[in-house]
Amino acid sequence: MPEVKISLRQVSILTAMYLIGSAILILPSGMASMAKQDAWIASLVGMGFGFIILTVQWQLSRKYPETNLLCLSEKLLGKWVGKIVNLLFLVTLFLGGPAPVLHDIGLFMTVQMLPETPIQAIIYLFGLLVILGVRLGLEVLARSAELLFPWFLLLFLSMSILLLSTIKWENAQPILETGVSPIIQAAISFVSIAFLPNIVLLIVYPGSVNRSEDTHKAVYIGCLIGGLVLFMIIALSILVLGPEVTARNQYPSYILAKNINIGNFLQRIEAVMAVMWFITLFFRISLYTYAITIGFSQIFNIKNYQPLVLPIGWIMAMVSVFIYPNVPYEAHFNKKIWGPYTITVGFLFPLFLLCLHYLRKKRPQKSKKSSNSA
Amino acid sequence: MNRRKKILAMILLQTVIALLLSSCWNRRELNELAIAVGAGVDWVDNQYRLSVQVAIPGQVTSKRGASTQAPATLYTAEGDTIFEAARRMTQISPRKIYFSHLRIFLMDEAMAREGVAKVLDLLARDHEFRPDFYLAITKGTTAEEALKIMTPMETIPANKLFNSLQISDKSWSSSMVVTLDELINGITSTGKHPVLTGLMVTGDKKIGEDKKNVEDIYTPSQLQYSGLAVFKFDKLIGWLNEKDSRGYRLIRGDVKSSVGYVSCRNKGKVVLETLRTDTKLKGRLVDSRPELDIKVSLEGNIGSVECSGLDLTEPSTIRQLEVDMEEKVTKILEDVIDKVQTEHKVDIFGFGEAFHRSHPKTWKRIEQEWDDRYFTSLVTHVSVDYKIRGTGTTNDSFLNDLKE
Repeated sequence: MPEVKISLRQVSILTAMYLIGSAILILPSGMASMAKQDAWIASLVGMGFGFIILTVQWQLSRKYPETNLLCLSEKLLGKWVGKIVNLLFLVTLFLGGPAPVLHDIGLFMTVQMLPETPIQAIIYLFGLLVILGVRLGLEVLARSAELLFPWFLLLFLSMSILLLSTIKWENAQPILETGVSPIIQAAISFVSIAFLPNIVLLIVYPGSVNRSEDTHKAVYIGCLIGGLVLFMIIALSILVLGPEVTARNQYPSYILAKNINIGNFLQRIEAVMAVMWFITLFFRISLYTYAITIGFSQIFNIKNYQPLVLPIGWIMAMVSVFIYPNVPYEAHFNKKIWGPYTITVGFLFPLFLLCLHYLRKKRPQKSKKSSNSA
Repeated sequence: MNRRKKILAMILLQTVIALLLSSCWNRRELNELAIAVGAGVDWVDNQYRLSVQVAIPGQVTSKRGASTQAPATLYTAEGDTIFEAARRMTQISPRKIYFSHLRIFLMDEAMAREGVAKVLDLLARDHEFRPDFYLAITKGTTAEEALKIMTPMETIPANKLFNSLQISDKSWSSSMVVTLDELINGITSTGKHPVLTGLMVTGDKKIGEDKKNVEDIYTPSQLQYSGLAVFKFDKLIGWLNEKDSRGYRLIRGDVKSSVGYVSCRNKGKVVLETLRTDTKLKGRLVDSRPELDIKVSLEGNIGSVECSGLDLTEPSTIRQLEVDMEEKVTKILEDVIDKVQTEHKVDIFGFGEAFHRSHPKTWKRIEQEWDDRYFTSLVTHVSVDYKIRGTGTTNDSFLNDLKE
């Protein structure tokens, strides 16, 4: 494990950036197609679900504040079973987490801005940046997050304020028309894209925060900030564009930025606004990659994780080029596969470990021996 | 170890710099672009005819008399699909056409009757089109002809079309700004059908295409917005005249400013300038039949008085004028609703959407039959509230002191 210490404020900011991540780009469209004009309600419901899940995740972590999730599963499941589970978890996370997000940024650029540029060019450049960041370690990532967060907020708030004049309240009416089940569906997609992958933070933070007893509070604050940003972007999409246009567009947040027009003077600033999600996507991919590399170094008992960064990053960039053969496949993946997967690893897995922890606590002597023999 | 690291870092740095310095693949230099400002699609012999008005930057800024070239040029191409036609245009255009600065998109009546949805998908899908251009339907002329007319003041005709649509939308209210998103929402909505502004070419088109059109003070041929085109989903089915168009806009509630008059007791008229309007549509159920309340509130000033014997210092006179105006506006609104209900039989007002908002459950049941069964016989209750705030810079009109 690398010896790093980051502050609680950095934890909050990093968490917020990680949570917003690619969700700011892909979430509004999918949610609007499910819950129509009630997508904003769904995002609030989703946040409720999200905090329940967070509580489960961090309840587990608080029992062992200095051990990360992977050590924990080795401890609770036994060494070899734990290692196998961890390996499975990391490999699937690698295929479902950083590689697709990296693909997302490439896709966004080639769809909206540079249609004739090969997607490889964008993915490799962005991947290089991620490799650089992860190699330099969590401390550097946290500090750069601290530096870039005000910029993100500035862009986000200015976009929200500039759009206020184009809001049409009729777009959100009638409220609660679609009924409960589409809202729950949309809320689940919200949770699975934004909140459930927070399991990764259980690998990153334990042992790396200077006041580990308060880590969970900082994470809650970060998630609240991130959740509110996502709620606002979804509400703005619905109020400005209407549910149909939001659902029909691949990147409603970008279309939102295109709609900014103050007196025919302040307009065409969508490319500047796009910087916003470059920032959040960078931290999303970096934290995923960081967690996966330190995870692998832990499984194979490698002291220093840094030599692993370049090969893993390289494979990630390669894989992300062909991870989705086409755009509808990605939508299908997000809808059908990503949800159940994240529920398994983000909710059921920590819940299972938590139960195991309580079971062991009941019979402390016996279980310790069995774990050694396993 | 350290040296190897250094060399590796250097190689990496070189690669990154080389990649970055080559800049982006999709770079488009300004002198390699043909900037489209106006575009039009005509439906000719079951084919699309795409006409694109391209600005010639040098001509727009050059001093008067420096050149005899027009400020814009028109490229026309035909194709089975619009995209093909656009690419076919490269056969005649020296540069690739760039659509991001498009101001106005025209379609002719034949295209509109055939259905505009097929045209709009390309505009919504292609990344070059931005959502800020306006759409209009040419009336009695093709889009190609309309884009050929030379205009004074604004040297680029598409800019003139864009600006005069915006101005007349704001201060006269018979024409209407419609953007792509709004139009698509109108086409897909079950509770509201779209309308688009009509565009006419007045005078002699032949002169209009010639430089003579802008050489004299009198412009023989003009581009003029006129009326609103009524659509059923994406197909044009009829037109509203100027008076009905203004009534329609008032019901939609997006009139910013307009002018209207009421007749005096004794001969003459009083003109009122409307400054603010607000419309509330509210559905209600009466014996399980939908009905609709339309509440229009307007605020305005007295613009001009063309009759004598009117005591404008007296509040009761003002009240009387308000009542007269309310009656008149009510009549206009009822007329246009009646006309659309009997002639066009499509809900362009968004009554369905209003009802949808207030009674979502009932709406689900009647949604499919809204146009055919409910809209045509829909009972509407129009109530107009006109408030006169000011009398302009004078009090009583000097017409009162006029001795004949």
